[in-house]
Amino acid sequence: MSNTESRKEINSILIDIVEKALGSGIIGSVMVPSRGPENSFPWTLISDVSALERAEPLPPVMSVHGAKALASFTQSPSDGRLLAVMRPCEARAAVELSKLEQINLDNIILLTMDCPGAVPLSEYGEDGTIEPDLHHPDTLRPLCRQCIEFTSKGDLCLAIHGGLSMVVPLTTRGDELLDSLGMKAESDTSAWKEWASGLGQEREITRTESTDNLQKAYNGLQGLIEAFSGCISCRSCRTVCPICYCRLCFIDMKDRRSPASEYLERSRNSGATRLMSDTLLFHIGRMAHMSLSCVSCGMCEDACPSDIPIGRLVSMVSDNTTELFDYNAGSNSEDPLPLNTFRLEELHEYED
Amino acid sequence: MIENSVLISTSSTLDTMRRLLTQLLENREVDSVFALRETRQEGRYCYSLITDPSLVSEVLPFHPVMPVQGARALSNLTITEPFDRPVAALLRPCEIRAFVENVKQSQGSLENIFIISCTCPGVIPASRLLGEERDEVLRNPDENIRNACRACTEFIPGAQADMTVIIASDKPLDGAVIYLHSERAVETAEKFDSCTLEKGPPPTELTSELLEARGKALKELLRDIPAPGDGLRSLVSLFSACIGCRGCREACPLCSCVLCDYETARTAHSPELVRAEAKRKGSLRVPSGTLQFQLGRLMHISPICTSCGQCSDVCPVDIPVSDIFIRAANLVQESLNYFPGRDTDDTPPLATFVEKELLDITD
Repeated sequence: MSNTESRKEINSILIDIVEKALGSGIIGSVMVPSRGPENSFPWTLISDVSALERAEPLPPVMSVHGAKALASFTQSPSDGRLLAVMRPCEARAAVELSKLEQINLDNIILLTMDCPGAVPLSEYGEDGTIEPDLHHPDTLRPLCRQCIEFTSKGDLCLAIHGGLSMVVPLTTRGDELLDSLGMKAESDTSAWKEWASGLGQEREITRTESTDNLQKAYNGLQGLIEAFSGCISCRSCRTVCPICYCRLCFIDMKDRRSPASEYLERSRNSGATRLMSDTLLFHIGRMAHMSLSCVSCGMCEDACPSDIPIGRLVSMVSDNTTELFDYNAGSNSEDPLPLNTFRLEELHEYED
Repeated sequence: MIENSVLISTSSTLDTMRRLLTQLLENREVDSVFALRETRQEGRYCYSLITDPSLVSEVLPFHPVMPVQGARALSNLTITEPFDRPVAALLRPCEIRAFVENVKQSQGSLENIFIISCTCPGVIPASRLLGEERDEVLRNPDENIRNACRACTEFIPGAQADMTVIIASDKPLDGAVIYLHSERAVETAEKFDSCTLEKGPPPTELTSELLEARGKALKELLRDIPAPGDGLRSLVSLFSACIGCRGCREACPLCSCVLCDYETARTAHSPELVRAEAKRKGSLRVPSGTLQFQLGRLMHISPICTSCGQCSDVCPVDIPVSDIFIRAANLVQESLNYFPGRDTDDTPPLATFVEKELLDITD
């Protein structure tokens, strides 16, 4: 099966499910990407079945992160049941955002799929025919190439590998939806799980290599300074990040402004000071705030106009911080956020 | 006496500029220099505030890049208090104009800033300098400049500049030619070694062919791009690929609000409203407000837009943002008879109440 066909197949199965669920009134609305003008794929909130005509649940690119789109209208519980069709990393971020009280998941069902990954926005802009291909990592965004959480997220997941072509329920909520759609099928999922574990192992290798390369290229504080030397302070990484939800970022607060004399003082210390200032403070601050909930979606890297490997850097930091707190972003809605949890006894190894 | 006084040096512009800046710092004529430098990473540039004269050797005056709009960086420096000692700032004409607008809106201060500007040949989009073709692009800057620069007719700095370095000119120059517009500039030039001070033709005479070419390009740009007159549908289509990164706003030197109106709880669409709209229409793009944001920015910024092109440069999905802004700015500024950055005393039109105005566009 070619990559185009597999995306087509996924799209048609997902649309069938959505149509059935919306048409029968089991759900009140659905959030799904649709095909817009000029080869664009905006998220759409649909309550009218006929509007599903333009739906493309698995587009070749990620324009806006699904969890961010979901958070834009679900801070309060929705009146009817909502089905959100999204990629695994989007479902994980939705779980994180629910913990951060930006999404109320009470009436929401998350439907995911075996994700082939996405094409970089810039490359898709030049050639709108590129298809994301699992087997050709060079078609994928760097973060997708090394993604190890590409399946089995949310309440249900469409499995199309290992000989399957069925929706696998992952939670009671997912179970109930399949039940009410009359789609519940007993089937052997062992080959699919084997596929996932095989690809997972390949991806782990890619991930380790990528981390090694990053560490070599950008070692220590000096390395970080170099990594971010091309930063133009456009803050797109922050704006497109599903986890960065503050209305006003700490870095933009008025009380953080410095007088001209302070910039001069900084300049005198080393002969010259870079402007805009505080590039590294911003990025390290973001890492400190985000890395525990980072789902390695790569939105930041895709949006960066200066081609900084920012997604890989934040993801690498996230590997370390989540390990430290034994936390896995988006995997379990019951796990409390480490930064919201006070323990009297912890992290003694970091004390003086 | 100052009018059309020119400093002429036989050495290259780069060398002359660096020596001039070194002199300014060493003689304590200025405390610091605000200029472009290449970072440790090849091909990456940043503005720097330099106090050590030995680092002037790293300055790349008017290198054809604009990593950050200079006005934005200067505003950052002077928003809480002006410089108390002189600083020499190397700024392009559109950066000066934007900074003048910043000052009018209490976002910075021109006090103690000695402005060295240039006849501006334009800058290259950042994306073209990231790939392998970088060297090739830098060899032919004229063919690779931003759309906004190609159509820029305001490439000669206005009254705020103390010096104008001739970079863009119809005919190639031997050595450096720097126009002196203020007493301070003349004093500085008089202390400068190995140069002559002369009277020259007005800088406009050195660039008349360029002005003609730019004017032609501007006309084409204004003719070719969609405008509000082309209807809402074309605007929807134009901004359909917008990913909401707000890079255009953050990079814009005129968008200076701490918290954008479209991020406030007052303006942002409530979850209830979004859900009700989706139900009413059957389908709704989310997050909502893409066009509202773009049109809002267009409304707030077009009277003061200095057509620098920074917004297009940062756009990760290549929406021709600055083309649209240039077109809107052209129409709006003409009808308000306001030209941003031209005169520090002109009050911004959105801050000015006139009882009888714009009658021609009222019903």
